[in-house]
Amino acid sequence: MAQIEVEIQHLKEEVVNMGYLVKAQLQKSKTALTNFDKNLAREIVIKEKRVNGYELKIDRDCENILALRTPVAVDLRFILAVLKINNNLERIGDIAEGIAKYIIHTETKFTPQLLQRSKVLQMLEVGITILEDGLASFEHENTILARSIFLRDEFLDEVNFQAIGFTKAYMAENPSEIDETLYILSIIRKLERVGDQVKNIAEEIIFYIEAKVLKHNKDLLP
Amino acid sequence: MRWLTILLTLLCILPLIFILIYIIKAGISAIDWNFITNIPKPVGETGGGVANALLGTVIIIAVATIIAVPIGILTGIYLSENKKGKIAAWAGICVDILQGVPSIVIGIVAYFWIVRPMGGFSALSGSISLAIMMLPIIIRSTEETLKLLPDSLKEAAYALGMPTHKVIMKVIIPCGFSGIISGVMLSVARVAGETAPLLFTAFGNPFIETNLLKPMQSLPLLIFNYATSSYKDWQNLAWGASLVLLVFVLALNLLTKLMTRKWKVQL
Amino acid sequence: MESTIIKAVNYNAYFGDNQVVKEVSMDIARNSVVAVMGPSGCGKTTFLRGINRMHELVPSAHANGKIWLNNEDIMEMHPIVVRLKIGMVFQRPNPFPNLSIHDNVLAGYKLNGIKLSKSERERIVEESLVKVALWKEVKDSLMKKGTFLSGGQQQRLCIARAVAMQPEVLLFDEPTSALDPISTAMVEELFKELKKNYTLIIVTHNMQQAARVSDKTAFFYMGELVEYDDTKLMFTNPTDQRTQNYITGRFS
Repeated sequence: MAQIEVEIQHLKEEVVNMGYLVKAQLQKSKTALTNFDKNLAREIVIKEKRVNGYELKIDRDCENILALRTPVAVDLRFILAVLKINNNLERIGDIAEGIAKYIIHTETKFTPQLLQRSKVLQMLEVGITILEDGLASFEHENTILARSIFLRDEFLDEVNFQAIGFTKAYMAENPSEIDETLYILSIIRKLERVGDQVKNIAEEIIFYIEAKVLKHNKDLLP
Repeated sequence: MRWLTILLTLLCILPLIFILIYIIKAGISAIDWNFITNIPKPVGETGGGVANALLGTVIIIAVATIIAVPIGILTGIYLSENKKGKIAAWAGICVDILQGVPSIVIGIVAYFWIVRPMGGFSALSGSISLAIMMLPIIIRSTEETLKLLPDSLKEAAYALGMPTHKVIMKVIIPCGFSGIISGVMLSVARVAGETAPLLFTAFGNPFIETNLLKPMQSLPLLIFNYATSSYKDWQNLAWGASLVLLVFVLALNLLTKLMTRKWKVQL
Repeated sequence: MESTIIKAVNYNAYFGDNQVVKEVSMDIARNSVVAVMGPSGCGKTTFLRGINRMHELVPSAHANGKIWLNNEDIMEMHPIVVRLKIGMVFQRPNPFPNLSIHDNVLAGYKLNGIKLSKSERERIVEESLVKVALWKEVKDSLMKKGTFLSGGQQQRLCIARAVAMQPEVLLFDEPTSALDPISTAMVEELFKELKKNYTLIIVTHNMQQAARVSDKTAFFYMGELVEYDDTKLMFTNPTDQRTQNYITGRFS
């Protein structure tokens, strides 16, 4: 195997590992939110350091390959994609950490009613699923799976769109939960961004495998 | 170990030095103005010289060179250009065999091929037999010199739109000139002292002769005949002639070295 | 003036029974730089030598198919005329060692017996050496022998020699593979300049060089022309898997 093949394979593994770590962070944040588990939330914050560590390492590895191996064609597209995916995953990690921090800092538990009506847990579930699919399509170079992400992200966009309306209504009905409701609104905003980040990851995967640029071009979307 | 190599080297050089000293001593006294300008006088008369042999040597060698050089160089060019051809392979073998043929055999062959049909001895037949001896040296040194030239030279010439004959005449030969010239001069040095072939061809002549179709005297022949005679005068002449011949060959070798250096092309 | 200067159609080249170039067709545009790359033994050099009819100089070499120079079939032209219009620069710099720099530049004229007036000679020497950025370096030592220059200078001298004949096309057979990186960079700079007046076809082993200097790149593999496209496309998203395998180093 050529040296560059070995290094690209290694880089792929690192990205996948980072991705699963980030997915675990999201899952933990869902659990912590459901059970109002402050200890679990602290774990998430601690683990965030590892996510950042991965980001630095992957950036460095890309730089080395660019400098020393002069990649072209698919290899070059792969490196360019990884640089961006690296960024996307790190932001998703930040979002999970952000959710965890809210949990740590609130005094009162989020009521199950709030959690359910805000659809925040469903958002998390969808976010986790599309991230999982994104990682799978990256690992197995499956652009069909990657394309399916665009549609499913719409759910996150919808909930986000209706968030203001929901917040106003819920706060009117439950004035004692105003603080918590506002936190949940922030979390909804963050989760919508998770969807965007995963969509970007999917675009990058399609770019490197098919050399098609889907960015900023809604017409090319299925 | 080192002293052994030094000793053996001296062993090689010493005979040459002794020969030189001896011949110089023996021959230098014989050389004077008469030596150069007069032909041998009958025994008893003083003032004899080797003018006829000197002139004869020059003429015979010059004609031999004129015959051998064009044929030799062109053959050498052919062999270096056609490394893989059948004719080239066979020609190469013949050249090698020719190099090994004893000089006296060449003389005898020339006798039967040229002297007999011509009905008499002649300088021309002598030149021809010497030319035959010069050929292998000229051919091989031309071929080897040209083989050493990188192909890229020829390619550059072709790429500039040169036809093949110009590539050879204007690029290959000029670049290989020093090797070719040294080959020619070495071949001359080689045959300058050959006696055996001339025995049956040029034969010798007590008088000065310039007609190529008549027998002619030359230095080796004169040395051969006079050194073994019983006359002191003639023996002296032989020593003088030996010295002249020796100096001639040495000078030729030196000249070759100088010319090679001058014409040498830095590849 | 038409924009295609050289057109090959179904060109095949052989050494004896061994077919080395198979059914190659390509169009080369005037004043462009075309790089030809591929692994060893892929036929790229043989194809290049077919263009200026150097291929047929090798015993047992033959070829069929057509190559046109400006709509003239090169096989119908006299080979010498072809080589005067299509110059060539080789891998190892090969200035004539017995000629001075001045005479080397004029070698195509002098050795062919073409007479030039003194002023024409001086003009051609200066122009050619200026074109290859060598004039300033050697103008005071034009009478020195060509072989006393450095490798990079010698190669530029060879380019000047080719350019002096005012060809339309210049062929380069791995022109910088025997040069150090700085000389290589200088020669590559030259290509940009030369392209203004000539069409350049460069066979190279060095993919990065092909990427740096050429407008279009041709990839040869096992005698076939596998892909021929804009250089940018070739190196970001080649069409053929073999091209991709080659440029990404999956096989050499």
